[in-house]
Amino acid sequence: MTSAVSGEGLGRRLEQYLSSLWSDDVRITNLSRIPGGASRETYRFDAETRGGVRGLILRRDPVGSLIDTDRRVEFLAYQSFHGRVPVPEPVALEEAGGPLQRPFFIMQRIDGGTPASPFGPSPYGEHANAIGEALFTFLGRIARADPATLPLAQCLTPPAPEACWSSALDEWEAIILRDERHPQPIVRAAIRRLRRNPPPPASRIAVVHGDYRSGNFLHDGKGKIIALLDWEMVHFGDPLEDLAWCCDPLWNHFDASRVAGTTSEEQAIATWQRESGLEVDPQALTWWKLFSAVKGQAIWTTAAKEFTVDNGNLALAISGYYPPRRHDRIMADALERLVEEGWR
Amino acid sequence: MTPTVPELLVGCATALAAQPSAEDAGVYTATRLRTVATLNVLIAQECAVGSAVRVWENSALRSLLLGAAAEYGQEFAEARSIGDGDCSLAALDAANAGLRRLLIRLHEAVEGARDHKLDREILALYRQMAERRELKLPAQRPAT
Repeated sequence: MTSAVSGEGLGRRLEQYLSSLWSDDVRITNLSRIPGGASRETYRFDAETRGGVRGLILRRDPVGSLIDTDRRVEFLAYQSFHGRVPVPEPVALEEAGGPLQRPFFIMQRIDGGTPASPFGPSPYGEHANAIGEALFTFLGRIARADPATLPLAQCLTPPAPEACWSSALDEWEAIILRDERHPQPIVRAAIRRLRRNPPPPASRIAVVHGDYRSGNFLHDGKGKIIALLDWEMVHFGDPLEDLAWCCDPLWNHFDASRVAGTTSEEQAIATWQRESGLEVDPQALTWWKLFSAVKGQAIWTTAAKEFTVDNGNLALAISGYYPPRRHDRIMADALERLVEEGWR
Repeated sequence: MTPTVPELLVGCATALAAQPSAEDAGVYTATRLRTVATLNVLIAQECAVGSAVRVWENSALRSLLLGAAAEYGQEFAEARSIGDGDCSLAALDAANAGLRRLLIRLHEAVEGARDHKLDREILALYRQMAERRELKLPAQRPAT
């Protein structure tokens, strides 16, 4: 960790910004970049003020990005759920980006936890079931929240329940068509099949985190989730989108008996239903599961394209290289199975 | 297309050669080094079997397309003229792109014709293609 960077580059700019924001004499220490996905640059630091030390996180837009997302929406997501589920308290948002050269926001740092590596085996050990209970409890609570009452409603418009699936599919298909460098017959076939076999309308319009999965939360190593992170793809839609994404085999840590490396799918769904107050329609969940692989493939397609622009960004490199091969396999297996089960 | 082997290796070299800023030291740099290591494990797999996988896939696609040309149109017989060139990864990928474009068009036609037999044949081919191209991480257990 780098300490005492006052007077240097980013740290100095942060000092000026926070001193002005808080009308205080702020000193920045322990500024250190941390891995925080490919969509934002993430830094941890301490802000020393006359009132004490605040542990904070800076999320700044990168030059290139995995998916171009709106940092205002992400900021409002933290505002919407702080106090409802474990998320950090948002502190400041600068959309113009002048003080730090690029748009950014700052939020409270939650210490004492770690994210799982999404592709390592058995990340939660003996606490897997407890983590699963918490993970799907919080997801159910997110699905239960009334979007119209949340700060997110300032900038997001709810889709019609019957349009959730098509608007989501249209969005990700367009990204694949825009960014693909090589023809992808498997995902094209999956998209056609999804259109021919639509799910029922959403039973409720809810907040969809957009990337709710193993690796995107901090846990304390003792079975407790202490922070749900990475809300940059948050939107309003069918809550089954999040449930299906979290259950995608890509995130199962190579253990098909546990979703997200935590608990059984049956138990995950039971927990989610209890907390959300919704019943899961198995056919709808099947549709959203195949959709998850399409959405993933769109994200990885963009990563591969962006990597050609930002060739030193290894988060883009690994995202564009390993997951798309697995998602092709997941889609191909699903397509064969679904056709056998009667999908047109 | 996923990034090519040369792109990935150049990316690793660029990342390693870059002078880290003061705030990049520590966990961020350590993670970057682990990513370089992981990428190189995956690249090694691609180098070991990538050509064979592409030769197999291109051959399978040609066979399927040529077999369907009589019923679905002579445009699919174009597959015969799409060769593997000098069998470099770049040449194989170029051929693969042409063949895959034809495959997408054929599959759309097959679905439109409700030709369930050929549809299932294509889906089975997709599974084999995906299976052969899958990469394994060091920590990965046998396929589940």
